[in-house]
Amino acid sequence: MSGTTPTEQSSGSVLNRLFGWIDGSLLSLCLASLVVVVAGGLVQVSFGAFSMTIGEAWRAVFDPAVIFDPQVWQVFLLGGELPELGRQTLIVWNIRLPRVFVAVLVGANLAISGAIFQAVTRNELASPFILGVSSGAGLLILLTLVVFSGLAAYLPLLAALGGMFAFVLVYLIAWKNGTSPVRLVLAGVIVGTVFQSLQTGLFFFVDDIGVVQSAIAWTTGSLTGTDWEQVRMALPWSIIAVGLALGSSRQLNVLLLGEQTARSLGMSIEKVRFALSGVAVLAAAASIAVAGIVGFVGLVVPHLVRNVVGSDYKRLVVGCLFAGPALMVAADVGARLALNPIQLPVGVVTGLVGGPYFLYLMRKQQNIGEV
Amino acid sequence: MSNQQSGDSQQMVQHGETDANADGRASVEDGSTRESALTGDALELSYPTSEEPVVECERIDIPRGEITALVGPNGSGKSTLLKSLAKQLSPDTGNVYLDGKSISEYDDKAFARELGMLSQQHDSPTSLTVEDLVYHGRYPHRSFFEQVNDDDHQAVERAIDLAGVEHIRDKQIGNLSGGQSQLAWIAMVLAQDTDVLLLDEPTTYLDLHHQLRVLETVRQLNEERGVTVAVVLHDIAQAARFADYLVAMQDGELYDWGPPREVVTEELLADVFRVEAAVNYTPDPEIVPKHSL
Repeated sequence: MSGTTPTEQSSGSVLNRLFGWIDGSLLSLCLASLVVVVAGGLVQVSFGAFSMTIGEAWRAVFDPAVIFDPQVWQVFLLGGELPELGRQTLIVWNIRLPRVFVAVLVGANLAISGAIFQAVTRNELASPFILGVSSGAGLLILLTLVVFSGLAAYLPLLAALGGMFAFVLVYLIAWKNGTSPVRLVLAGVIVGTVFQSLQTGLFFFVDDIGVVQSAIAWTTGSLTGTDWEQVRMALPWSIIAVGLALGSSRQLNVLLLGEQTARSLGMSIEKVRFALSGVAVLAAAASIAVAGIVGFVGLVVPHLVRNVVGSDYKRLVVGCLFAGPALMVAADVGARLALNPIQLPVGVVTGLVGGPYFLYLMRKQQNIGEV
Repeated sequence: MSNQQSGDSQQMVQHGETDANADGRASVEDGSTRESALTGDALELSYPTSEEPVVECERIDIPRGEITALVGPNGSGKSTLLKSLAKQLSPDTGNVYLDGKSISEYDDKAFARELGMLSQQHDSPTSLTVEDLVYHGRYPHRSFFEQVNDDDHQAVERAIDLAGVEHIRDKQIGNLSGGQSQLAWIAMVLAQDTDVLLLDEPTTYLDLHHQLRVLETVRQLNEERGVTVAVVLHDIAQAARFADYLVAMQDGELYDWGPPREVVTEELLADVFRVEAAVNYTPDPEIVPKHSL
């Protein structure tokens, strides 16, 4: 009996290390976020050009013809012809809900991407777009719309590729016997400025107001017209990015101890920094491909979550996974319904909501300067 | 495993002996020679921003199983030298050997399992708890996605116990005093469980009580687990009392090295620190300035 106690005790502590980090503040944050997502989703499915009562909308959401039919799910997730469905069910499941799902994916991706970049650059003003990603994506969006309009069908892919290309360029510029957070951020600003100018210059060559609107929708971020196709496009990359982010939380935590400590603990810091940036860019690119460049979510959400759960990245990443979608879904309710029937780009709303919230955080919190 | 190790160290003793005979540097108090755990050879160190080398050092030996103190005035290159020994700064010329193998041949993590380094400045998120910080010390023992196991757990408990931070293990770093947080960082580097430990000014800015606590912890580690320690200390009397072996530096070069009694002399204080002082051993070293500066 006495022989088994120490092992029991120590395996108990190992268990404690495995799950002990899930605490009340994290659980309540996740729950609150879930409530916001569900409420926002309910509003989104109920209102629109074809109005239904909330009861009807709920019934359509839980329509057993969809939920328990693997064939329908297969069509949703892999593409194909939908079988016969009720009119309301079809509107809810084929038009309104996918948009909510895309918002969830985009919110989660941006929040996690921002959280990672804030650790990698050790800069609390870092966002998914700090290392030139947004300007690279924006430039390619404009180029595609204005110059290579034949490639418009590949716009999402090209936008994501543009972001990744800019990121690699930033890394190359910053590299000089290794990088440092400051050099990375500076290189990001340089590349961003140049690409931004090119992008603005391209606007002068546009004659068609429709192309301008489309370009603005892409460069401010919009969920208008998103569909299951966008879910299919973003989901696999999101799963990979989220999985990698969760698995890398310990690396991120060690990065927070400073470069010197991380190095003396045996971290191959350049490799880890590049790999983590890669994960963050992947997440950002997945969201750019389906929604364009949605600002502020990736900056504000990690701050908000850190404010509640502390700076431990295990908690932070999980928190972002819930809070990001909450902000995004709520903002999209505003974007879609506030000026009905005109739909705003969701990026306009996230900026309008996120900016003041950030200001509030800054005024309230003494130690905002610390990651 | 232990067999192989003793074989290795015997080889090392001989290696050390020939070296010691060649230049007579590794001789210690009782006249015997010691093998060195860490050796710097023909080092020239500089920073990207500096034009001339900050440190030029023909040879430095950190004897195995002993406590070596590096002393010298501000800017004499102690920290720079320590950084190069810890693979944090690659030398312009020369090489550093750990257990006879060039440190550039070690994989980053493998190196961190052999040698721990606590730098002078370290920052951490204020909301990090002491226990979580100590667990980070296990980084080199875990693979990328690996979770904690019993070994990690035991090493952490041992480190917390040795550093005496049990009572503050759940506190956040931001709420600790300077001395307490220094002990927490020492616990982290202890959890790394290395045979060689480098400490850069671990006692600076601490009150006397915490200074002694830190040094006592290091001494205990050295005596009980045979860990080789190299430590930068500012207080030369303290260094002389505490260390087995002293290395004095001046203007980026080694001035003298050996047992404290041989190194700490009135001449050293005058040459290196520009202080006219009397040195008495009673039997502990005492340094009394002769007049104000």
